[in-house]
Amino acid sequence: MAFPNLEYFKRDRTRQLFLIWFFLTPSLIIFTLYRIIPLFWNGILSVQFWSPFGESRFAGLYHYEEMFFFDEVFWKVLWNTILFMASAPIGIALALLVAILVNTQIRGRNVYRTIVFMSYPVMTVAVGIIWQWLYNEKVGLINYVLISLGILEKGVPFLGHFSLALPCVILASIWQVIGFYMIILLSGLQNIEPALYEVAAVDGANAWMRFWKITLPLLKPLLFLCFVIGIINSFTSFDLIFVMTQGGPAHATDLLITRIYTVAFKLSKFDYAAAMTVVNFLFFLGLTLLANKLSGGEAGAVETER
Amino acid sequence: MKTRWQVVGILGAAFWAMALAGASPAQAQKKMSVLTWNIPYFEEGFKKWVVEFNKKHPDIQIERLDKKGTEWSTFYQTQVVAGTAPDIIDIQGALWLEYASKGGLLDLTPYMKKEPELAKQFYPEVLKGWIYEGKQYALPFIISKTLLFYNKNMFKEAGLKDLPKNFDEMMSSARKMTKGEKSGFMTLNFDWLYWPLFAMNGIELLTPDLKKAAFNTPQAVKAVETLAKATQDGVINKISWTGRWVEPNDAFAAGTVGMFHAHAPAFLWFKSKAPWVNEETVGAAHLPGGWSTPNSHSILISKSCKYPDAAWDMLKIIATGEGAYALGTGTNNLTGNIEVNKRLLEYFSKTLPVAVPVLKTQLEHLDKLCGNWPIAKDAEVKEAFYPELQNALLGRKSAKDALADAERKVNRVLQSR
Repeated sequence: MAFPNLEYFKRDRTRQLFLIWFFLTPSLIIFTLYRIIPLFWNGILSVQFWSPFGESRFAGLYHYEEMFFFDEVFWKVLWNTILFMASAPIGIALALLVAILVNTQIRGRNVYRTIVFMSYPVMTVAVGIIWQWLYNEKVGLINYVLISLGILEKGVPFLGHFSLALPCVILASIWQVIGFYMIILLSGLQNIEPALYEVAAVDGANAWMRFWKITLPLLKPLLFLCFVIGIINSFTSFDLIFVMTQGGPAHATDLLITRIYTVAFKLSKFDYAAAMTVVNFLFFLGLTLLANKLSGGEAGAVETER
Repeated sequence: MKTRWQVVGILGAAFWAMALAGASPAQAQKKMSVLTWNIPYFEEGFKKWVVEFNKKHPDIQIERLDKKGTEWSTFYQTQVVAGTAPDIIDIQGALWLEYASKGGLLDLTPYMKKEPELAKQFYPEVLKGWIYEGKQYALPFIISKTLLFYNKNMFKEAGLKDLPKNFDEMMSSARKMTKGEKSGFMTLNFDWLYWPLFAMNGIELLTPDLKKAAFNTPQAVKAVETLAKATQDGVINKISWTGRWVEPNDAFAAGTVGMFHAHAPAFLWFKSKAPWVNEETVGAAHLPGGWSTPNSHSILISKSCKYPDAAWDMLKIIATGEGAYALGTGTNNLTGNIEVNKRLLEYFSKTLPVAVPVLKTQLEHLDKLCGNWPIAKDAEVKEAFYPELQNALLGRKSAKDALADAERKVNRVLQSR
């Protein structure tokens, strides 16, 4: 019987590999159990006729055909999701503006930073309730102000309005997350060497040019991070929608995620919801790959010594 | 060293002894669970049911579960998938139809046939509401249906003396009460609760065989146009078509709505928020024609129940005699049991007299129940119909186009797998 080559286990590289696997394994097990297996199971479910109460049978692409060719609501909620996602840059731009303002030497800047950040730790359900009242047609603050200023004659049911409901929900979502974006971008701004600005100023660059040529390029990785968070936010704004509008009126604020929940648990069509989840996942994956490519293609990569 | 091993040995033996002692009774104990719908406060009455049940089945332990309405179906369906479905369930509205059609519920017809006297205890129209494809799936739990609450102050201000006798009169009275912030009419919209507005116009949702949409008619177009115009003019409060439960009830509690079409449980909700509500200021009546949509709760048995005979005994305890009385007094509701309701009305006339006129309406015109079709795809049909109706009522589409689109969608649902 040959003994294993002990030299192999004594190598530094082997030890390093062992250490890496030692720390990775618990996370990988959890990731496999709670992400990979459900993902595959969901894929299988999407090509079956399945109900919690009965036997399942093969359905082929029936649910996908139904979704793409006959379900108008699916296209509506997909479009809403894209609009929700497209609002992320607005929030990031606002956050960048606030971050630049509170990064200057104005008096009480720490207070301003705290005030802007305060919305982020608030529970999403509470955010939904607060904004629901703000938008209220009869007693809402927004209608009160608009009527007092003479802009409106009578209150507008913002959340019951087909065209206004989604922008209103998006605004609430931006309000909640803007503080988080601001903190990320502020940390980036504070890491930029002041000498770079000084040199540029000596070279005759005005404030606008300094922003475009120094600030923005150096903030690019953090802007990408904020954008990814914004995309995730648009896919996970379930509680905000659920509290504020429940997807109404007439699906005007329904997103893919809220629709999937409705289809699964209110209509009891788990198989169809699984097919929608697959599409949701592929859409999300495609966007992430695209965003990664746009940011240089190495997001999340670990820098190693060469 | 020897002592250390002795200690380990003793501890090990003690552990196994405790584990075995603990496991044995649990394994021997039979268990059944009862899932109720948002009545966490109903503890005393539930204990009474269990005491009564254990007189006949001392070997079965009852576990109590309660979930809010928003969580109920998610919880139940995930439990079904996990193979741990609650044995006895209290369901609101038409949710049970989907489960029954997929074979998830126990057919109670054989039990009912064995005890023919039992059915006579319940209102036949109410009991009929839980028949699907000729099989009885449930006994009544608590019952409610829609009615018309009216703000007597607003009626007086508008010079209105009589209640409306038909749809046109109702809209006309509502218009007279509309002024500034005040609107004349409002309705709840979930679970087909708005359907009496269509029924009083002679509109049917489906053909008698329940296989095709039947609502796209000139009368329906006219009715929807009237409702849409009234909504646009503020005669019907817009919350009618966008709110669910809290918003409409809060609006009526604010005293700015003339007539409120809602089910009986709304009364205690808005009364709790409006000190001005009393017999002098708020009246309870039937909608013109006596039409109403039921929103009752029923009690059913999951098909996976291991002890169906015992579960049936529990159902009888809950739906009849002292068990049903405890349910009514504990939740301030009427039950589906005729004799029990007589006692409950006596009880409420002493403890909650202001609610008695409201509760009395719940037992009248039971032949005019509508919006309760026994179709497995009830939720899907609702989903296909209501957003299109919203489109028309909130001015996004013409009534004609919205009803045509709704017809196409409803037919697709009915014809699909």
